[in-house]
Amino acid sequence: MGRLFVAALLLFVAGCSGGAESVPGGSKIDALLAKAPVYAGQVTPGSAVDRIRKRGELLIGGSQDAPLLSQLDPISGELTGFDAYLGKLLAQYIVGKPSTELLTATSETREPLLANGTVDVILQTYTITPARRERVSFAGPYYRSGQAIAVRKGTSGVSKPADLAGKTVIVGANTPGVTAVQDAAPTAKIVEFGSDPECVTALKQGRGDAYVQDQAILVADASKDPELELVGEPFTEDPYGIGIKHGDTEFTAFVDGWLREIGKSGLWQEVWRQTIGTVVTGEAPAPPAIAS
Amino acid sequence: MSLVLEGFLNTVALTLLSFCGALVVGGLVAVLRIVPVPVLRGAGAVYVEVWRNVPLLAWLVLFVFGLPEVGVTMPLFWTAFTAIALYEAAFVAEALRSGVHAVASGQGEAARALGLTVRQSLRHVILPQAVKNVVQPLANIAIALTMATALAGVVGVVDMTRAAQRINLEIAQPLLVFTGVGLCYLVMAAGIGFGARVLERRLA
Repeated sequence: MGRLFVAALLLFVAGCSGGAESVPGGSKIDALLAKAPVYAGQVTPGSAVDRIRKRGELLIGGSQDAPLLSQLDPISGELTGFDAYLGKLLAQYIVGKPSTELLTATSETREPLLANGTVDVILQTYTITPARRERVSFAGPYYRSGQAIAVRKGTSGVSKPADLAGKTVIVGANTPGVTAVQDAAPTAKIVEFGSDPECVTALKQGRGDAYVQDQAILVADASKDPELELVGEPFTEDPYGIGIKHGDTEFTAFVDGWLREIGKSGLWQEVWRQTIGTVVTGEAPAPPAIAS
Repeated sequence: MSLVLEGFLNTVALTLLSFCGALVVGGLVAVLRIVPVPVLRGAGAVYVEVWRNVPLLAWLVLFVFGLPEVGVTMPLFWTAFTAIALYEAAFVAEALRSGVHAVASGQGEAARALGLTVRQSLRHVILPQAVKNVVQPLANIAIALTMATALAGVVGVVDMTRAAQRINLEIAQPLLVFTGVGLCYLVMAAGIGFGARVLERRLA
């Protein structure tokens, strides 16, 4: 019993340490890092880039439970997914090595974490909205996602977002799906569950008529579960941005420059293929254009 | 605004209903634990140990996702109500039991010497004295229960905390939103504490 406990504790600690050093060789991120650029230009003393370099690691606010985007592999202790890999590549760009520390952020803590400097960036399917722009600066968008609808196979009467009106719709708690459903069908009754597997179970148990979630996640779910069916195409355009302390235009421009560089070199597309591209069929999309 | 109201009312309703449920079930369990029948005492003890030693969140997830697997599907609000009431009942039972034990043992012996049955001595001698002992412990449980209802938001119930998170998703002002919600919980808890003091004074 005692030994089991120690083993579990070690696993937990290994999971928490999360640095690149703990990642065994041969993983997807290593191939990406081999092609990753490192910033070689001037660094203003006292700037965010300067601080991160001196610290030697990038502090990221993100998730550990978002499949395809930022998910902690409990066995290897590696953080995998589109957001997670971009974080490593950004650290490589700034510091010269992929040293990151992930702090789990939630929709309640993202803005304060940036404002008080606990994290350097937020990389967490953070949709750029006018309301958020008033308290956070955004680099990017680095990804354009869309909310899509899934139903139990054989469900009739739901083929477009307007059909959700008056129906019970399951969404992930604190995901962009919440606002997407409110906008597309204000009379829909929203039921939130904490994680994607819970949402899928709830849908299958009849807790709702439909499940609205990021298309990539739904495609992954449906590929594993024959009871699920996606209807129609994504009905929103969610531009995900990298959250930065409000008003730090210098760092925002810096991260924008990095995003342009990896978009041009094809590294962005490579990250997409290694993560979201493993479940979404077709070629990698073009990276979103970044307003200067 | 309607979302705020819906969340607030759901939290109030869930708190009141769950606490009433916990009082009923907890009362029954407390009786099981003090009657002089070993089998019933054992059953009461098992109830208390099983329910209070598993986290409420685990019970909620089990009830919401497990019950439909065995063919029982209740609305989410009532599922959460059932889980919270049964969980808090274990604490209520212990509070009631300790209230009964706090009554001097001579009281029970005297009742028996007068020829009262177990039921009669509980009803006319022990319980009236025990009631005032349990007011504050029960108020503690009620306040803890108020805060615990926020866990129902994790399993689909739109309670006050869940409503606040949804609003925050829109306006991105967590400090403002959650300070407001915190104040609402504070008012509810203070109300319970005040009610308990009034009740205690009346019973004293």
